[in-house]
Amino acid sequence: MPGEWWSQLFDGMSKTSFFNLSFLPKYGKMFLEGIEYTLLLAVVSVLIAVIPALILALMRLSKNRFLSGLAGAYIAIFRSTPLLVQLSIIYFGLFGAITLPRLYLFGFIAIDRFIPCVVALALNSSAYVAEIFRAGIQAVDAGQTEAARSLGMTAWQAMRLVVLPQAVKNVLPALANEIVTMVKESSICSTLGIADLMFAAKSTASATWITLGPYTLAAAIYFCINYPAGKAIEAIERRMRRGDQR
Amino acid sequence: MATRDKLIEVHDLEKHYNKGSIHALDGVSVDICRGDVMVVVGPSGSGKSTFLRSLNLLEVPTGGTILFDGVDITDKKVDINLHRQRMGMVFQHFNLFPHKTIMDNMTMAPIQVKGMKKEEAEAKARQLLERVGLGDRGKAYPVQLSGGQKQRVAIVRALMMEPDVMLFDEPTSALDPEMVGEVLEVMKELARDGMTMVVVTHEMGFAREVGSRVLFMDEGHILEENTPGELFGNPRSERLRSFLAKVL
Repeated sequence: MPGEWWSQLFDGMSKTSFFNLSFLPKYGKMFLEGIEYTLLLAVVSVLIAVIPALILALMRLSKNRFLSGLAGAYIAIFRSTPLLVQLSIIYFGLFGAITLPRLYLFGFIAIDRFIPCVVALALNSSAYVAEIFRAGIQAVDAGQTEAARSLGMTAWQAMRLVVLPQAVKNVLPALANEIVTMVKESSICSTLGIADLMFAAKSTASATWITLGPYTLAAAIYFCINYPAGKAIEAIERRMRRGDQR
Repeated sequence: MATRDKLIEVHDLEKHYNKGSIHALDGVSVDICRGDVMVVVGPSGSGKSTFLRSLNLLEVPTGGTILFDGVDITDKKVDINLHRQRMGMVFQHFNLFPHKTIMDNMTMAPIQVKGMKKEEAEAKARQLLERVGLGDRGKAYPVQLSGGQKQRVAIVRALMMEPDVMLFDEPTSALDPEMVGEVLEVMKELARDGMTMVVVTHEMGFAREVGSRVLFMDEGHILEENTPGELFGNPRSERLRSFLAKVL
């Protein structure tokens, strides 16, 4: 790639220029892997968060005060402390005690770092997703539960057969938004040496002394992932609302 | 009214909210016998819906007892789900399950709760749908039906469980006027077949024509209980007279 016509575009450009992308031929691959890493981190974390979040939401809505209080405390703690702090505690505390094997996923994802980060992001995300689920469940008309219970169904049957299938529809757009949020939030993992998109930008900047270009590129890439994704979710949401009637 | 054996005996039922400052039900006692069509009328806020919803414990009373076929269902040790299978309920807003077809709406509880076989449940559902003139709508979703059709489905959905009593909570109040008749017609047919019914309604014509007894409720009390002829023709309390003057 070096020596191609466009690499000369940046000749003589200042190292502090926003648009100095002369590092691309050499560091482009790192950015591509960074994108994959970031997407994997975000999607896997939110998907792993779904089951604990559902359990948390059901606990939160339960009549049992102990269960509801426990879930409430979990949600409060994870929503009221910074993700970076949570990540550090889990990485150095929990996974300081457990030794993970040094294996590589797809050739570039070191699982001894990937797993602690996914766990931290998933624990954090489950608190937010739990609140999404709780709102989605509560948005289902109370008459639905009453009708189910009046037919002799147990509380769990009513939840499983009648309420949850309807809540899924309320929840999907918010869940997709949570993935978008996670794409951005996961950049914090770069502080632990996770080779995500942000990490690619940081390493490139320090290796080449091109101070701004790598970050402009990272910003552009984050934007190109999240903005269309957000718009697509909005469109799907609008279409789903159209078919919504009792 | 052929037999007079008591199906539901309500004794001194109370429902107090806000630490006792609001008395939605304040000492309601009444017996409902097999074959009765008990119509409950009264101004809004009189407690008639709360009373009806207490009968299957959708509303948990704060005092008093309800004997259903001899069993006190307000006792916390009683499995209410078993008794609810025998008490069908029809709601003002239909409450069909929008994510299920009409057929699945009808067969869900019999299959899941009673363990009925799918084919058996579907055959029974088809028969009931036929009876209310909706034999061809099994594959439709609730959203595709008119209000009157939805309420007819809601009635036969409750009948799928073969209840001993049907509770109706203002079943025609959310309907367009031209659809009220078709729902009342189904209810009249049920009454003719001898179903025990408790009906909260504003349809005085229905109360007069089909009711075997009428309760007039006000401020959480039963003020008068009588046959429709007596209650409408010869109201005793001033409160009932003024109520009837407004609604008739």
